[in-house]
Amino acid sequence: MNNGKAVVLVVEDNAIVRMGAVDLVLSAGYEALEATDADTAIRILESRSDIDLVFTDVQMPGTMDGLKLSHYIRDRWPPVKLIVASGDAILEESSLPGGSRFFAKPYDSHTITDAMARLLARDDSIDPAAAADHSGKE
Amino acid sequence: MPQPSTAHIEAASTLAIVVSSHEPLLLLSENQTVIAASSSFCRAFDINPATVSRCPLDMLGDGEWAMPKLASLLKATAEGIAQIDAYEIDLKRPDRETRQLVVHARKLDDGDVEHIRLLLAVTDVTAARIEARLRDDLVRDNSMLLKEIQHRVANSLQIIASILMQSARRVQSDEARGHLHNAHHRVMSIAALQRQLSTSKGGNVELRTYFSQLCHSLAASMIADPDRLSIEVRVDDSAVPADVSVSLGLIVTELVINALKHAFPDERPGRILVEYASSGQDWLLTVTDDGVGMPAGSDTPKAGLGTSIVEALARNLACEIRFSDADPGVSVAVGHRADGELRDHPSNENIARPMHDPRPGGGAASPPSGTGQSDDE
Repeated sequence: MNNGKAVVLVVEDNAIVRMGAVDLVLSAGYEALEATDADTAIRILESRSDIDLVFTDVQMPGTMDGLKLSHYIRDRWPPVKLIVASGDAILEESSLPGGSRFFAKPYDSHTITDAMARLLARDDSIDPAAAADHSGKE
Repeated sequence: MPQPSTAHIEAASTLAIVVSSHEPLLLLSENQTVIAASSSFCRAFDINPATVSRCPLDMLGDGEWAMPKLASLLKATAEGIAQIDAYEIDLKRPDRETRQLVVHARKLDDGDVEHIRLLLAVTDVTAARIEARLRDDLVRDNSMLLKEIQHRVANSLQIIASILMQSARRVQSDEARGHLHNAHHRVMSIAALQRQLSTSKGGNVELRTYFSQLCHSLAASMIADPDRLSIEVRVDDSAVPADVSVSLGLIVTELVINALKHAFPDERPGRILVEYASSGQDWLLTVTDDGVGMPAGSDTPKAGLGTSIVEALARNLACEIRFSDADPGVSVAVGHRADGELRDHPSNENIARPMHDPRPGGGAASPPSGTGQSDDE
C-alpha cells in the first residue's frame, strides 16, 4: 500500500500486453509497477515492502516461469495476493498456490480488475476460511 | 526309427496342415519336443526345416528358443492349468536384432489323453510395434503442436485485446470509444471460441458452454450493475463444427451488444435471453430482450456494422433472420428450417408473440436493416 493506493506488480514479457495490463491497473485506481520476467519481479519485491498484489503471466523467459514465481512469492511473501494469466486455457488448478486466481488469456479487463478488487478487499482480514472459499481459479 | 509302441505316429494330414500353415506354427509334444514346424515358422525365424523334427524346443536353431518363461507357460498349458493367450516374449539371437513376438499356445483337444500335443502360434510384431510407436509419437507431436498453436493464438488475441482496450481508454470521443469496445468484444467472442475448441475433442463445439462463456464475458465487460441487467443462456445439447460455431458466436455477440446498448436506456432493468435448440437439420437461435422495443417510423436508426455482420454471417449459414416484437422488447431469431418456416422455441411462447415484421414492406428473409435497435456504428 502506498499513499492509500494498493500497489500492483505486473509481470509480463510481452511489451504490448504489459502496457495493457499496467493501463488496466492504473484505470482501476492502483499504483502499477512492472517487470518483464520473474527475476526482475523478485528484485522489485525484495527492494520494497508495499506490494499488495502480483499479476503475472506464465510463459516467460528467464530462470522461472510465472507458476514457479507465484509459488516463490507465496512462500517468501505470503500476504502478497496473486493473479496468474496464461494462454494455456487448461492449466492444472492444483499447480497454483492456494488462494490465487487464474485467468485464461485473452482476459477481460473488467474480470481482472474485479478479481483484484476482491483479493485486495480481503487484504486486512486474514481469514483462512475465506481464503479457501476463493481459491477457485477460472 | 522309434518303436510304434512308445512313439506316437501323427496323422500325415495333421503334419501337412501344420507345415503348410501361413502363420508361423509349432506342433509340440508334452515334453516340448517339436513334432512339426510350419515352413512359415522356419522362414520367419531362420531355422533349417530339416532340423526341426524331434528337436527339443530349447535346442531349436542356436538355442534361442530356450526361454524359461516360454517353457513354464507351455508346461502349464500342457497340464491344463493355463492357456497362453497373446503372451509377449522377446526373441534374442546373437548379432541379430531382438524380435518382439506374440505367442498363443493351445493344448490340442482330440480326445487322446495319452498323447498331449501343444500348438504354438508365433507372430512377429516387431514391425507393427515400431509402426504403432511412430504413430503414437506422431499423435503426441501433433497434439503438442496443436497446444502450442492454441497457446500462440491466445497470446496473439491478448495482444490485440490489449491494444484495443488501451486505445479505448485513450480516445476522447465517446463514439470512437464505443467502436473500440465493440471491436474488443468481437475479439473476445473469437477468444471464447478458441478456448472452447482447445478443450473440446474432435473439433465440434458444444454450444452451451461456448455461449455461456461468451455471455459471461460480455456481461463482465458491458454490464456495470448485474442486479439491473442480466444475460441468461438456454441452450440444448447441440454441438456444431468449429466454422459454424464462429458464425453463431459472432451473431450472439452482435445481438447481445445491440440489446445491451439500445434496449435498456435510462437505467431500465431487464434481461436478455439467448436460446439455441436444434432438431435434425433444423436449428433456431434467438436473442430476446425485455427492453423498450423497437422505435417506430422515422426514429429508426440506420443499420450499422453489427447488422451487416449478422446479415453476412446469416447468409453464410444459409439461414434467415426475423425480428419480432416480444412485447416488451425485441426478439431476433436466426435459424434454418427444412420447411422454410422459422418458428419460436416451444419454451419461448410466453415471451415472444407471433412474429410479425415491423418494417414497411419487409419480408421475413430480407436483411434486418432499419429494424429499430440497430447498432450505432
